[in-house]
Amino acid sequence: MHNGEHELTAGPLPTHQDVARDVLGRFQDLGHRYWGWVTVLAFLFILGIVGFIIRLTEGFDDENRANWGYFVATLAFIVTTFTAMPVISAGLRLTKANWRRPLTRVTENMAITGLLVVLMLIPALIALPTIDGRFSIWFEFPLGAPGVWDVIGYGTLALIGLALLWGVALPDLAAARDHLPASSRQRVIGWLSLGWVGGVRQWRVLYQGSLLAGAMYLLTYPLVQTLMISDFHHGLIPGLKDAIIPATVVVNGLQGAVGMTLLTMYLMRRLGNYEKYFSVEQFWALSKPLLAFSLLWFYFWWASFITFWYGRQPGESEVIRLLVLDEYRGALMISFFLNFIGPLVALVWNPVRRSVWGPALVGTGVVIGALVNQVRLYVSAFSVADPSQHVLHPRPATQWPDAPDLLIMVGAISGCVLLFMLVSKIIPVVSIWEIGEGLRLVKVRRYMNRYVRVIAKSH
Amino acid sequence: MATRTQNTRANHKWGMVIDLDRCSGCQACVIACQAENNIPLNDQSAFLDGRAIEWIRVERYWEGDYPDIKARFLPVLCQHCDNAPCESVCPVYATYHNNEGLNVQVYNRCVGTRFCGNNCPYHARLFNYWEPVWPEELRNQLNPDVTVRTRGIMEKCTFCIQRIRRSTRGGKQVEDQAFNPACVQACPTDAMTFGNLNDPDSRVSRKWEDERAYRVLEGLGTNPSVKYLKQVDAHA
Amino acid sequence: MYYRRTLTDAQINRELLDVVLRTPMWWVIIVSILGLIVAGAASAFGFMMNQGLGVTGLQQPIFWGFFITNFIFWVGISHAGVMISAILRLSQAEWRRPMVRAAETMTVFALMTSLLQPLIHAGRPWRIFYWVFPYDWARGIWPDVRSPLVWDPTAIITYLTSSTLFVYTALIPDLAIIRDRSTGWRRTVYGILALGWHGNPRQWKLQGIAGILLSALILPVFVSVHSIVSWDFGVSLVPSWHVTVFAPYFVIGAVHSGVSAVVTLMILMRKLYKLENFIWEEHIDAVARLLIVVATAWLFFFWLDLVFALWLREEQEMTVWHLRLFEPPWSWLFLVFIVFSYIIPVPLWMFRRVRRSFTWMLWTSLMVNVGMFLERLIIIVPALMRKGPWTFTYDTYRPSAVEVTLIVGSIALVVLLLMLFSKFFPLIPIWEEKEGQKLIDDVRVGDRVIPALVKEH
Repeated sequence: MHNGEHELTAGPLPTHQDVARDVLGRFQDLGHRYWGWVTVLAFLFILGIVGFIIRLTEGFDDENRANWGYFVATLAFIVTTFTAMPVISAGLRLTKANWRRPLTRVTENMAITGLLVVLMLIPALIALPTIDGRFSIWFEFPLGAPGVWDVIGYGTLALIGLALLWGVALPDLAAARDHLPASSRQRVIGWLSLGWVGGVRQWRVLYQGSLLAGAMYLLTYPLVQTLMISDFHHGLIPGLKDAIIPATVVVNGLQGAVGMTLLTMYLMRRLGNYEKYFSVEQFWALSKPLLAFSLLWFYFWWASFITFWYGRQPGESEVIRLLVLDEYRGALMISFFLNFIGPLVALVWNPVRRSVWGPALVGTGVVIGALVNQVRLYVSAFSVADPSQHVLHPRPATQWPDAPDLLIMVGAISGCVLLFMLVSKIIPVVSIWEIGEGLRLVKVRRYMNRYVRVIAKSH
Repeated sequence: MATRTQNTRANHKWGMVIDLDRCSGCQACVIACQAENNIPLNDQSAFLDGRAIEWIRVERYWEGDYPDIKARFLPVLCQHCDNAPCESVCPVYATYHNNEGLNVQVYNRCVGTRFCGNNCPYHARLFNYWEPVWPEELRNQLNPDVTVRTRGIMEKCTFCIQRIRRSTRGGKQVEDQAFNPACVQACPTDAMTFGNLNDPDSRVSRKWEDERAYRVLEGLGTNPSVKYLKQVDAHA
Repeated sequence: MYYRRTLTDAQINRELLDVVLRTPMWWVIIVSILGLIVAGAASAFGFMMNQGLGVTGLQQPIFWGFFITNFIFWVGISHAGVMISAILRLSQAEWRRPMVRAAETMTVFALMTSLLQPLIHAGRPWRIFYWVFPYDWARGIWPDVRSPLVWDPTAIITYLTSSTLFVYTALIPDLAIIRDRSTGWRRTVYGILALGWHGNPRQWKLQGIAGILLSALILPVFVSVHSIVSWDFGVSLVPSWHVTVFAPYFVIGAVHSGVSAVVTLMILMRKLYKLENFIWEEHIDAVARLLIVVATAWLFFFWLDLVFALWLREEQEMTVWHLRLFEPPWSWLFLVFIVFSYIIPVPLWMFRRVRRSFTWMLWTSLMVNVGMFLERLIIIVPALMRKGPWTFTYDTYRPSAVEVTLIVGSIALVVLLLMLFSKFFPLIPIWEEKEGQKLIDDVRVGDRVIPALVKEH
């Protein structure tokens, strides 16, 4: 009785061939609904570009810096949710979690958003004031800091993500190549499959490579989040000395990644009939890390708050007034409820965890909370007039989004989804070979008076 | 600049101003405090062990290079901070803020965690590592108004609270300069001024607003009740 | 390669209850030696109480020294129990089975020892009850809840209570086994402790639920304990202590040192109690993999601490770090600390042969704990030495013989308590081992037979 939907019986599990036939069938004909969504998303993305151009015409002067706050917050939101998703598949593959198999591809496909992140990073860096005369993570380090290093960091992350996506997809690309009728799409897929035939050596390289790329993604992600929060938030607020904040945003990112994965799986179930792959087991299993990350996020935030609050130094007081008690209190409250209270109250209950709607709902809340939290962090930082002071004075007023800000937010998020949709036209959205491998490692056996699953742990 | 705290519950808010221009670093205040407050003798070994007890000490800084070198003196005592970092960390309320703006140490409550000492940025708090002893001939000179502290507890400058208590007994308002702590009384150059900050005409209140006035380690936001008047060099 | 060791229930009983049911000579010898060391430390403490804290190496600005270092060290070690038991139990990691009991027991004894440290350290320990027990009739006031030193005993006593419950709940089935194999008054005592356990389905179910519930409830306590210990430092104004990252940095460091201590303990246990059939290379391998992750996360937090401490270039902060990094003896200690706690062990653990070698793992895990003790010392003392911009800096801190004796005594105390525990209770949970044997199966994939787990959600 592994997923609550049906009791296990002695009957046979689906085979690799069943899965391949089903997934490739869906892959071959994506349907009119797919094109409808692509059109809508493309339109919204173009609106976002319009918003961006409006921002661009206002320029990058220091007095206009506050205008770029929401743009940077959107960028940070993408990094916190979409671009963080491959971390899930990398982590689960390293820990050999068996339930990961249906959902790895969805998360890896989101690695493509790393490209959009790099593109958005460039105007954000231009809007950033020079590091001369203010404190930054770069200390006295020259050589184009911070711009060059941020681009290198995010570029590396995007490249590792794409390598992970492409490498792990090779067997499925080959399957699609062999399955689809000849067309230009089939030729592209065939070219991308790099002549995969499934030799023993190829498989060995694939296993090692997927673990290595996953591990590199896991290590790079915290570092680039550290760069982002240090350059675009911490370095802009005078008197702030919050050593934990990179860890806080990393945890927020993991939380956002799980939330976005749950949301994606839910939408694919509803809109794409993928119930067979994204079953309760996946939602149930992901809800536990979601709860853990939610608690950790609050814990990290609390650790910094209590230190400032207790320290009572003038510089610290101003900073917590800005970020916690005064100007951005509302934003903090929203993310406090959606990223901590909501998951805590809902997910401690096993019946909620062991459902589709429960984790999906909480995950959606987490994603919204993450967006609001990025606004709190980055908009506040960008609205500080003079980052070179020692104590924040005067505190900037709360800044609300205007029309171009909203266009940019909607457009960039739609752009991410659009990229995901486009990738799923080339790469099957469910990993055939990983599910097949999982099926080979599972046997249903009789144990005492009922049937249980026996899972082989390969060493 | 932080303004002084107006205390509504009591008539007194004790404060001190030390004019560094007048301070010659003679250490008379240190000796006077030693005698008044029953502080054990700081012999050579106490200094070598790093365990000397000085409720007030004179910090000496060198400024400039030879031959243009100047000695700067800074008498440091408990600053009786309004926002005292030592108070909130004590688990047993052995130190608290009283309604006259004093940071009070209750010896009997102290269990000797020494957290307050760590959290005092002025190094004004001192620990009794040994039971205090005096030579036989000095036993009879101990001040009967002041507790002899046992080993294992923290102590620090009290602004000579025994003198404050004696003068304000019965809740009476004292005249400005009616009494002074031992260090102020002993200062030969009249560098130190003590008094009631709630009385706008008191000597200390007038000096409090001096343009040379500053507080030590102001950036920590501890809001001390002691201010220093900057030394200004004649030829500078 | 991985292979299964099939053990019969009788064999498990016999081998795990060996020390409990008879008293070997080596056990008596080791316990006597440890007892002597503990007695020596107790007399050192008596001497210190009689003379005053002047017999330590502490000085006027350096109010905290070896005792507080030792306090943090043992609280850190105590984090292994929950890490191994609760987290691995909740995540259903099979390899936890042989080490849960030892890790939990070490948690309890390490916590008791850590609680002794602030007592030893206080100026007037005979008055410490004012501080821990919130009664007001003696002094007319309650303890100040604003002080982290009130949070400390609260968190630690909560953790101690729940860890003890945790150990006891998991011990009940084994107590029943011993009860059934002993006679006379022992049988009566074990019988009372076993709470009438007969192993019927309802009892097993309740015991399982209690284990899971305690695991889940103990996790927040686990995180809070070392966080609160870290806030002893974090909420103060001392330069280089007043850092927001301290709470998770301390917790992850605690897990690092604690899990390393579990490795040390497992290897010594295996040798002394001849548990080769229960503690395998695979188990140590799995812990070592966990340690790589934990150590690397710890290094990330350490790096954050360093970078952000220097961020604002505050003069005092820079002075403290200068002392730590560049001025002997602290620079040497710092080097030893970072090399011992990360640079040597973690790259070594990358090799499968090291992870599966009991000798290598014994020395690397000991190394980590030497490094982590130094870490706490380096956090505490140099910061106090350069706390303010004052000119009257006294000498450097040198621990006195009394302090060193008490540190050695605390180590001996924990080991002694563990040895005594092992005399009366099995160090490896018998029922967990048997359950593990039941849940293992083989799956044939192609031409290979792979060991498999029965998953029953």
